[in-house]
Amino acid sequence: MSCCPRGQQRAGQASSAAGAERALAWFEGMIGRCLDYATEAKERGRPIVGILCEYTPRELIMAAGGVPVCLCGGSAETISAAERELPSNLCPLIKSTYGYHVLGANPFLEMADLVVGETTCDGKKKMLELLAQRVATHVVELPQKPDDADARVHWGRELVKLRQALSDRFGVAISDGGLRDAIRAMNRERGLRRSLAALMRCDSPPLTGRELLSLKSTISCLPDDLAHYESALASLPRREGSDQSHRVRVLLTGVPVVHGAERVVELIEDRGGLIVCQENCTGLKPILDDVDESAEDPMEALTDKYFGLHCSVMTPNRRRFDALRQLAADYRPDCVIELIWQACLTYSVESRLVRGLVEKDLGLPYLMIETDYSPSDSERIAVRVEALFETVRARKRG
Amino acid sequence: MIVAGIDAGARAIKVVLVDSESGGAIGWAIGDQGTDPATRASELFERALAEQGLSEIEVAALVATGYARGAVREADSTVTEITCHARGVRHALPETRTVIELGGQDSKVVWLDEDGSVRDFSMNDRCAAGSGRFLEVLAARLQADIAELGALAAQSHGPTAINSTCVVFAENEVTGLLATGALACDVAAGALASLASRAATLVGARGTPPVVMTGGVALVSGMAEAIEVAIGLPVEVAPRPQFTGALGAALIARDGISAAGDGRPTPAGIEGRIHGRPDGKGRPAGRR
Repeated sequence: MSCCPRGQQRAGQASSAAGAERALAWFEGMIGRCLDYATEAKERGRPIVGILCEYTPRELIMAAGGVPVCLCGGSAETISAAERELPSNLCPLIKSTYGYHVLGANPFLEMADLVVGETTCDGKKKMLELLAQRVATHVVELPQKPDDADARVHWGRELVKLRQALSDRFGVAISDGGLRDAIRAMNRERGLRRSLAALMRCDSPPLTGRELLSLKSTISCLPDDLAHYESALASLPRREGSDQSHRVRVLLTGVPVVHGAERVVELIEDRGGLIVCQENCTGLKPILDDVDESAEDPMEALTDKYFGLHCSVMTPNRRRFDALRQLAADYRPDCVIELIWQACLTYSVESRLVRGLVEKDLGLPYLMIETDYSPSDSERIAVRVEALFETVRARKRG
Repeated sequence: MIVAGIDAGARAIKVVLVDSESGGAIGWAIGDQGTDPATRASELFERALAEQGLSEIEVAALVATGYARGAVREADSTVTEITCHARGVRHALPETRTVIELGGQDSKVVWLDEDGSVRDFSMNDRCAAGSGRFLEVLAARLQADIAELGALAAQSHGPTAINSTCVVFAENEVTGLLATGALACDVAAGALASLASRAATLVGARGTPPVVMTGGVALVSGMAEAIEVAIGLPVEVAPRPQFTGALGAALIARDGISAAGDGRPTPAGIEGRIHGRPDGKGRPAGRR
């Protein structure tokens, strides 16, 4: 199997090829293990803090002794419950998240001592107000002009307020030392996940995009998870597998592919594609940059890292386009597919600019898929994906 | 030898037989999809062969396309409707740069490069707005057959605006319009204009002439003219527009054989499965 130099360097390390299967199997049981961990942590008096967005610095929650848990919903089954209170014309991620709340069906949300949200998109922001009627919440205001110095200062102050709020609510002092420890832990996890993603740069990567998507956890920095990231990284390059070099390399961009909502990812790979790069919040976007461990003031370092995320709520969102250019160069996709959850206005409108970048600057075919969590349009999406791949293959033959 | 294309669409199944030497179409068959598209496709394929006095052993390669393409037992491979319509139009009208395909359940726009290859495409999303189904439902509400809808619309002196894009809502809207005294002919003309406007939305600002219309909806009289008005460009209807996808599928099957013959790579979707097929070896079990 042809593989990247990173893989060859690691090939000498101790771990059998079976280790790759063990590591992949480990993350299949992710939700159950996270639930056990959170339940035990709660019994020991540690607060459970729900988060809804990658803009929330998990480091602050961890430094407060809390357990940050991602609450984003990926189930179609909770949506009708959500629509009792929310409009149907709202993004499925927001509806699913809220539907779990209506049904009392997300154990992490049920045990949460606090939910932290940001003013990213309007749907999430207003949903949080409904959630706040029954759950303690803290809202961080996210300024949306990424190149504006005042906006950055404001974001920094919002993080200071979050630190204070966590400290007050849980009656703990958050020390700079504790914060630095959390930053180091998160950087380590980000680095490991980044290296796993980089395995997809190979001509024939040792895993699929769907498998890579599973290599993460709804609670960050669990010691056993970190060990399994290490083991996956050591063993995957020597994994026995089929040649994937004939598949169409896809860069997937757009909305997050939340646990349970992987339908389009699976469809793309079932129809001959290989998702080599995921430029979204469940892929590379939040782990591209680390927090500066050497910064004199860790709060300033957190401010820079998290304000640098390029969600489509930012205007103008130049950093996303810079990232797409760089990722296309690193991962050599044959085409770009943008996934947009229905009624996600900011990604939907921005898709026009993404299409322009992909077609004109990168010279690649672009396909936008707008859908929700219901499988009713899978066959229609498949036609478009297959036609895209037919076009890509025809172009390759010249 | 001959090659064949089967377009198992959402509403109808179409079969085209092509002479593999000349590339010309020599046989056609069409029928409703019914509840068992695989069997219907087999029946129509056999009918098309029988009408030409041919047997299946003479079919060198068969490509299936359309919504139920995966169900066609006789197929050597499958290719999407988008690539097939582009290939069929390239054969019939090689200068074409934009294809508007309005089918039973889908509407698609395909942009072609100067050499006829697919440059880009767009397709309606989840619902059937902008497809033949829209006209079918509204025609039924007007107690007309879809074949009569164009003639009815031609009597109109002022189309009634139909604003709902959803088929179900549009039917409700038409009920309301008729209740307040709108004429059936004006509603029919409004239905054509509404569908044309949906197609124009898919085309957007990217309509490149010459524009060709394919798919069963192209047979509705007045439809192409309504689209011309909506997109501001002349629109030509492809010959036998319902069969364009099946013709393209047959031609892709033929491309695969000629490519295999002179050692070039096989075309889109064929994936090498047609190599060596002229002798009939290695066909799927369903093929007799």
